[in-house]
Amino acid sequence: MSVAVPQRSEISTASRVAPQTRTRGMLRLDHVTRLFNGSLDHGLQDVSLTCQPGEFVVVVGPSGCGKSTLLNLAAGMISPTSGTVELDGQSIRGPGPDRSMVFQDHGLFPWLSAAQNIEFGLKMAGLPRSERKDRVASALHLVHLSDSANKLIHELSGGMRQRVAIARALVMDPAVLLMDEPFAALDAQTRTLMHAQLQELWGQTRKTILFVTHSVGEAVRLADRIVVLHAYPGRIRREIRVALPHPRNFDSADINALVRQVRKEIEDEVNRVNRATSDAYWKPEAPADLDSDSGFMGGGI
Amino acid sequence: MLNVRTGFGNPISFPGWPRVSVDPQDPVRHVYDSPLVIANIVSLARLAVGFGISILIGMIVGLAMWRWKALDEFLGPPLLGVQTLPSVCWVPMAILVLGINEYSILFVLVMGSFAAVAISLRDGLRVIPPLYPRAGLMLGARGWRLYRYVLLPASLPAMATSLRQGFSFAWRSLMGAELILVVQNHGLGFLLQAGRDFSDVAQVIAVMIVMVVIGMLADRWIFAKIQSAIQTRFGLN
Repeated sequence: MSVAVPQRSEISTASRVAPQTRTRGMLRLDHVTRLFNGSLDHGLQDVSLTCQPGEFVVVVGPSGCGKSTLLNLAAGMISPTSGTVELDGQSIRGPGPDRSMVFQDHGLFPWLSAAQNIEFGLKMAGLPRSERKDRVASALHLVHLSDSANKLIHELSGGMRQRVAIARALVMDPAVLLMDEPFAALDAQTRTLMHAQLQELWGQTRKTILFVTHSVGEAVRLADRIVVLHAYPGRIRREIRVALPHPRNFDSADINALVRQVRKEIEDEVNRVNRATSDAYWKPEAPADLDSDSGFMGGGI
Repeated sequence: MLNVRTGFGNPISFPGWPRVSVDPQDPVRHVYDSPLVIANIVSLARLAVGFGISILIGMIVGLAMWRWKALDEFLGPPLLGVQTLPSVCWVPMAILVLGINEYSILFVLVMGSFAAVAISLRDGLRVIPPLYPRAGLMLGARGWRLYRYVLLPASLPAMATSLRQGFSFAWRSLMGAELILVVQNHGLGFLLQAGRDFSDVAQVIAVMIVMVVIGMLADRWIFAKIQSAIQTRFGLN
């Protein structure tokens, strides 16, 4: 689906022009290695990952494992040292409007209002004013922020800012939505609301989403597939398919069992890395505090 | 006033209160035809032209220094040095190179203020969160568009600060230059010096007050207002 708001597609001329291709949004990393100044620190080694159109893929892993590197490669902000990164068969050569990014610290422009921020990418793409207005209105409606259109960024709450950032990304009608720990800076209650909203949005738009987080709870709640990264060198350790139906009830026993299982995987990984990189005084049985969600009611029991 | 109360100084250099206030004999002529009004116009015109040039040069230099690190390392220390040099120290050079004319006054003004504009703009640009250009790139703002629609607006707080900084340097430089360089059009600095030449303390004090008032009004009513408007927009205060 290529429209930000399917149920209101009649107001967008672009929606009628753009082909409704369900195959759009296949992101493929093939044997990708990325070094930083010749070192594997934050780098990736021989990573192959394919996100199917409409799939929600969440990448988790310890810090320094190259999660953000993976996302930046997909965004085209950096290029691989070797291997290929492709979107729908086209090699990614730089940032482009077919891939939108939502950042942890929203990255909204403080000199623009919420609506102007959402309009920004459309303006850069050279769309006529009337169409921009329609699409901005739909995007605002999609994230339930129509009443805050003219507010400045500093007048919005943290959750509202992230919703504007998501609307700004979705209004471009990208093939892939890249999300770099988008809810990490929010409080637990707001984050839970955002998870529900993101599920709803994804259900409506069926974008391919590549989502990076260090929170296992978040990964299990949102993902179709969880990719656990290995650190030093950054490699895919395991892929876990989450077969639970969407939208999910975040308090269900299935979710909690899966959270425990995935957390165990990552704790093993963190301990392995720590053993490898620390001195003899390191106690490997020390619990890894990975899930910033542990305060979430019932989430990590 | 001083000699009335204390007898300090002689009556010529320190006249009593009435001499310092408006001439009661001819108030109309005093207001509309006085050298003070003309001097204000002359000085403000020079300020507008000179500070304009200074902003232009300062912003280009500041932007270039931010953009190219090598240039920053090359120009940064000398510019800081120039900023510490009192601007009247440019007067001898201005006279030798340009002669005693409007150009030499503008030269002193520009040399005295462009470094302040450049340095504060560069410093402000340096603190633009790298997330803004990244977000801009992801949204399709490439090449000049990135400068026009992301980096330029993102640098507005820095520009406001650099304007305010630059203005105070420009105003002081201009007054210093006018004090020494006597050219055909008489600015405030000339009037101040004329007061000294005629041993007229009333004029000296009056001109000094005008200088302070103009400097303060411009700072508070123009540059601080611009700065505060931008900071409010950005949610910085």
